[in-house]
Amino acid sequence: MDVTLHIQRQVEGRKWYQDYTVPVTTGMTVLEALIYVKEHLDPTLSFTCSCRSSICGACAVRVNGNAELSCEVLVETLTQRYQTERLTIRPLGNFKVIRDLVVDWDPKAARIKKIKPALDPKPEFTPETGCKQTPEEFNRYKKYAGCILCGSCVSECNKNTLNQKDFLDPFAFVKAEQLTADTREKDPKERLKAVLDAGLWRCFNCQECTAKCPKHLDPAGAIEKLKEATFKYGLADNVGAKHAKAIYDDISESGMLDESKLNIRSEGLFLSALRAPMALRLMNVGKMNPMDSHPVNPEIKTIQAIVKTAEKEG
Amino acid sequence: MAREFSRRSFIKGMTAAGVVLAVGGCMSWDGKNIPEKVKTGDVTYDVLIIGSGGAGMRAALAAMENKDLKVAVMTKLMPTRSASTMAQGGMNGVTGVTDPADSVESHVFDTVKGADYLCDQDAVEYFAERAGKNIFEMDYMGYPYNRQADGSFHQRKMGGSSHARAAYFEDRAGHAMVHTLYEQCLAHDVDFISDCQMLEISMSGEKNDQLNGVIALDMRSGNLIGIAAKTIIIATGGYGRVYWVRTSNPYSSTGDGIVAGMKIGIPFKDPEMVQFHPTGLSVNGVLLSESSRAEGALLINKNGERFMSKYAPQKMELATRDIVARAIATEIEQGRGLGEGIHAGVYLDFTKIPKERIQERLGQVADLSKRFAGVDITEKPVMIAPTCHYSMGGLEMADFHTGASRVPGVFVAGECSCVSIHGANRLGANSLSEVLVFGHTAGDGASSYAKNHPYVGDQKKLMADCSKWADSFDEVTTRPHMGNRTVPEIRDDMVNTMWFKCGVFREGKQLEEARRELAKLRQDYDKCYVGDSTRVYNTAYEQYIELGNLLQISQAIVEGAIARKESRGAHTRRDFPKRDDVNFMKHTLISPEGDHYKIEYKDVVVTKYPPKERKY
Repeated sequence: MDVTLHIQRQVEGRKWYQDYTVPVTTGMTVLEALIYVKEHLDPTLSFTCSCRSSICGACAVRVNGNAELSCEVLVETLTQRYQTERLTIRPLGNFKVIRDLVVDWDPKAARIKKIKPALDPKPEFTPETGCKQTPEEFNRYKKYAGCILCGSCVSECNKNTLNQKDFLDPFAFVKAEQLTADTREKDPKERLKAVLDAGLWRCFNCQECTAKCPKHLDPAGAIEKLKEATFKYGLADNVGAKHAKAIYDDISESGMLDESKLNIRSEGLFLSALRAPMALRLMNVGKMNPMDSHPVNPEIKTIQAIVKTAEKEG
Repeated sequence: MAREFSRRSFIKGMTAAGVVLAVGGCMSWDGKNIPEKVKTGDVTYDVLIIGSGGAGMRAALAAMENKDLKVAVMTKLMPTRSASTMAQGGMNGVTGVTDPADSVESHVFDTVKGADYLCDQDAVEYFAERAGKNIFEMDYMGYPYNRQADGSFHQRKMGGSSHARAAYFEDRAGHAMVHTLYEQCLAHDVDFISDCQMLEISMSGEKNDQLNGVIALDMRSGNLIGIAAKTIIIATGGYGRVYWVRTSNPYSSTGDGIVAGMKIGIPFKDPEMVQFHPTGLSVNGVLLSESSRAEGALLINKNGERFMSKYAPQKMELATRDIVARAIATEIEQGRGLGEGIHAGVYLDFTKIPKERIQERLGQVADLSKRFAGVDITEKPVMIAPTCHYSMGGLEMADFHTGASRVPGVFVAGECSCVSIHGANRLGANSLSEVLVFGHTAGDGASSYAKNHPYVGDQKKLMADCSKWADSFDEVTTRPHMGNRTVPEIRDDMVNTMWFKCGVFREGKQLEEARRELAKLRQDYDKCYVGDSTRVYNTAYEQYIELGNLLQISQAIVEGAIARKESRGAHTRRDFPKRDDVNFMKHTLISPEGDHYKIEYKDVVVTKYPPKERKY
């Protein structure tokens, strides 16, 4: 089967798309197809790769708009998934492109430093005697230790696409959750403060990172776990946490959101006052009436039972 | 001091000294892959580490303990893309945690026996005494060890070890190690110089023994940079890619540091010692774990015979790596394999193993077979063949207490070095411990050398070397295609030569042919077609550089293999099937001399264990 790779090229300021036809054989990965192009059709095509067994993270690219680890995914899988013999290959999103499919990782390293990315062990542990933790405690964070820094999670992250300056890459949150959940750590609170400052509550919850992670680490889930931890460590004095708390209170008390008060309880009276024009517009079109008393959902008993069960499941 | 050097601005005809003054800082350069001080030429590093795998990063952390020193790690990719990341099993070290009966003595003996006695026993003792300490230390750094009931890390028993002494994270022990070290490096603000391909180590002085620094190609800008350094640590990894698709190693394992080291007078020690793992996928060399055979997978030839009965009737598939690899290679050679050429193989059959057990214990093996070979191992056998797994040989480490080579200021660590503790065959889980122990040692060694010695290099020479490479870049990348062979064509020929004439089995006549073929390929290489003359991230040129290194490594392997007229460990000569302790209890030392290679020998150090027959 011949497959056309429609590849985004970018060399020294010039940008264009170029088509290459590759004879696809059984088990041919996207990376092997790229190597075929470089060796047989065009030596100028540039990309990075190293281990070709999905552990080093060097070769992630975007195929038809979705991040893929190119050494892992077969061309055939994608032609079947997209029902086409023409695949569009571009560099990862939310990265600066250096050339063709090669992206710049250095700003990412600088960003990951913000979350204090190394373990600071408790005082009872020493380099000579190591540390202790139970197998159960290990199990709590081991999944997150599987991150390979391939960048797939950030490629389609909508929050990062909107603004990278007040948020981090999902993999940084994965690392933060790994270390926060690690019982060897002396002071998870210090790290959580840093994570809050780095934009924890600004996640859009769009789940793109979780959908794209080739290691199935669920970065969006890690972000949620970090949010939970901020409550546990008494770091809930911020808009995001208060917003979550207000929703929780409404639902557990009345089973319905009281949207006219939600904003005041999240941002406080002063900041909410700045939103008065929007409130007036909402009132004008009948979307909000401050005079209404907040109704109670007739199914409130069931809703409270659900909340309780969810809390128990943790 | 360090300076960037732009090819485009190189004005031919000027004197070398004039050029240095003329080109400082004139290229646009917005990448952050190189510290600002390197671009402006304001730094002479005390310790410059080449390579960012386990050894390189461990060395950096050790050297950084002296806060007054300027330390940097240079890498051709980014720090977490190394071969160390791929290690699966664990890191050996005697801790007494899981098995209180284990002892340093036992670790030493297992290593010496595994090495088929070609290791220096004093170095092995040094290694085994420290390996356990490094396991505790990694725990403190945050290594995510699998735990046992008492809260300590758990250790498991690997092939060739007589006790459970390998600490690990799942089946990704190397990945966890590299990321833990990377986190520590970030926390300690280690300077990384990433996306830089080392081209040469620059030396000066009458005896050419004064270190100027390192010449590298900054992939981002295409600039040639000269980085001045008082000491360097070469930690660039192994050379499995001489066998290209028939290796489990990453694309980056091209022996760059070994070739650069050879050129400044560090001998390549025991290059012929290359370990072959029996079960790599035929299609691409990717490793199917040792646990396949442990769980009961059978080896079957074309005629449906379980052929291990001829080679190891007692242990069958569970015989050691080298025995199984040789058995498979023999079957293929004698026409009982399947497939053609470099992708020929035999069957590894899992169908007798219950499906549930495959799912539970061989998930990764099933996954790799399905993905790369399109085979569901619960239904059908998958084709495998031996695959090059590890380079025991490497740059000679002259003093294992410091990691120093014989060239002043130049240190070596990790797979690119030869201490030697692995001798003719490495044991599973000894490689990760090696990079920790000797990365640490070399980091300490280099930092104490840097503290006590002034910079003796010649920066004019450093820049002259830089401009020489700038010229070469222009000449190489603009060669016409017409009449010249391409980099991949030459590489494929090299691989065919190496795999079929200097692979699992070796023989005098074939090795002589390999020698001639490689010499011819070197000539082809000298005028080969690269096909890309742009400056920014020119991977075609990088692959050209890597191929040049692989060819020189191949020649050294062949020279070592021709001269070692015996069979020992991973080195199997059909014409000399026996181990010869009378003539070959010694290390091969290879150095380039003009067009050919000079061979010297050095006796193996024996302390407690005189050579005995190696039986498992």
